[in-house]
Amino acid sequence: MFDLKKYRKKSPWILHYNAGSCNGCDIEILASLSPKYDLERFGVINTGNPKQSDIFLVTGPVTYRSRERLIELYTQMPEPKVVVAVGSCTCTGGVFRDMYNVEDGIDRYIPVDVYIAGCAVSPELIIDGVVKALDILEKKSKEMEKPLKLFKEAISENGVVNRRNVALKVGEVHEEN
Amino acid sequence: MIEILLIVFAPFIGGIIYGFERVVRARMQNRQGPPLLQPFYDMFKLIDKQAFIVNPYHTILGIMHFITLWVVVAFIIMGQNLLYVIFLHLLSSIFLILAGFSVKSIYSHIGSNRELLAALAYEPILIMMAVGFFMVNGSFDIAVIREHGASIASLFLLFLAYLMVIPIKLKKSPFDATEAHQEIVGGVEIEFSGIFFEFLYMAKWLEYIFAYLLLMLFAGDNILLGIGLFIGVFLLVNLVDNATARIKMKHLIKIVLSLGLTLGICNLIGLAYV
Ligand code: SF4
Repeated sequence: MFDLKKYRKKSPWILHYNAGSCNGCDIEILASLSPKYDLERFGVINTGNPKQSDIFLVTGPVTYRSRERLIELYTQMPEPKVVVAVGSCTCTGGVFRDMYNVEDGIDRYIPVDVYIAGCAVSPELIIDGVVKALDILEKKSKEMEKPLKLFKEAISENGVVNRRNVALKVGEVHEEN
Repeated sequence: MIEILLIVFAPFIGGIIYGFERVVRARMQNRQGPPLLQPFYDMFKLIDKQAFIVNPYHTILGIMHFITLWVVVAFIIMGQNLLYVIFLHLLSSIFLILAGFSVKSIYSHIGSNRELLAALAYEPILIMMAVGFFMVNGSFDIAVIREHGASIASLFLLFLAYLMVIPIKLKKSPFDATEAHQEIVGGVEIEFSGIFFEFLYMAKWLEYIFAYLLLMLFAGDNILLGIGLFIGVFLLVNLVDNATARIKMKHLIKIVLSLGLTLGICNLIGLAYV
């Protein structure tokens, strides 16, 4: 049978979001798209548009200001999707851990599929992580994936899911950490 | 028979050209580049992905854009009237522009605005090209134009003007402010997703066919010259794309309108009086 799932692996489009990182890892991501490492040979395009991307590359430890956007971008990505946490501070908080204005890592807010450690991560590790993410992407179903916080259940009518306003603002919800 | 086959497979031929172009561009930057069939992998992936509908008109207008563009290409291949082709092509752009305005996204609106401005800049050149072909061959019919000899010598200035239209249509720098990835995130295409984006993606491939088929009209019945023109301009456009930065919309209109109109009018006056 003609299996469309096979092709998920061959054309991963990337959305890159900086949730308050020091920019070290962002530069490394750009380096891995440059001629020397050439991530495009796997069919990767850096789209910058959540509605057309498959892989969500996040850098940074989620500052209080950036978490609404993080959830917003995450809910705007169509399934199947994978989240890759790039850099130590994205995985655990790293050098920013326990600071007053950051959350420790993005997995407090959205489910993460691949963690890439390193401060800053090297382009080789990023490529390894993305390739690992592709294996996970191939196995995923098209079930709706939900953020862990700042989220309202989507309403579904006649089999059509209405995703409008599923990402909440910080003030709209009672949070306990 | 061969015409029908060409028409049916036009989007796929365009896809191969697009894939080849990505490889060529990568090689120019000393990279390996994606595989040749990458656009088709993208296509299958997009079909498999979930699709969001922002509003029904938006998606329908996007699909209409693709279909009208396919009809335009079919008309060129069948050798219909060149003026019809140009105006029908304008209609297909209008569908896209309306789709851009039908959603709330600001980027989409900016993209539509720019698309409209770009149409303002290149449309006069296309129409003057049609007039030039009429003055040389005595007919607007593409079939007649294809039977006459090469007209590139007598339409050389218009050919130069058309060289500026190709990067606008194919969204290549320096004239890619209409799409502008990373700046306005693709402009009109921002709200499309999944299989609906696929239609826009395939429309992009058809744009390649459209632009290069019009280019080959300059070669008339000389097929070798036509292929030579295609290869030469293809390489030139990609070289310029790699070597230049994006210019502002304002400058795009200024450059294309002033230079293109002057070149075109000079050529037409020359044809009329010399
Ligand atoms: S992991 Fe280190 S280098 Fe990377 S963004 Fe965080 S602090 Fe910067």
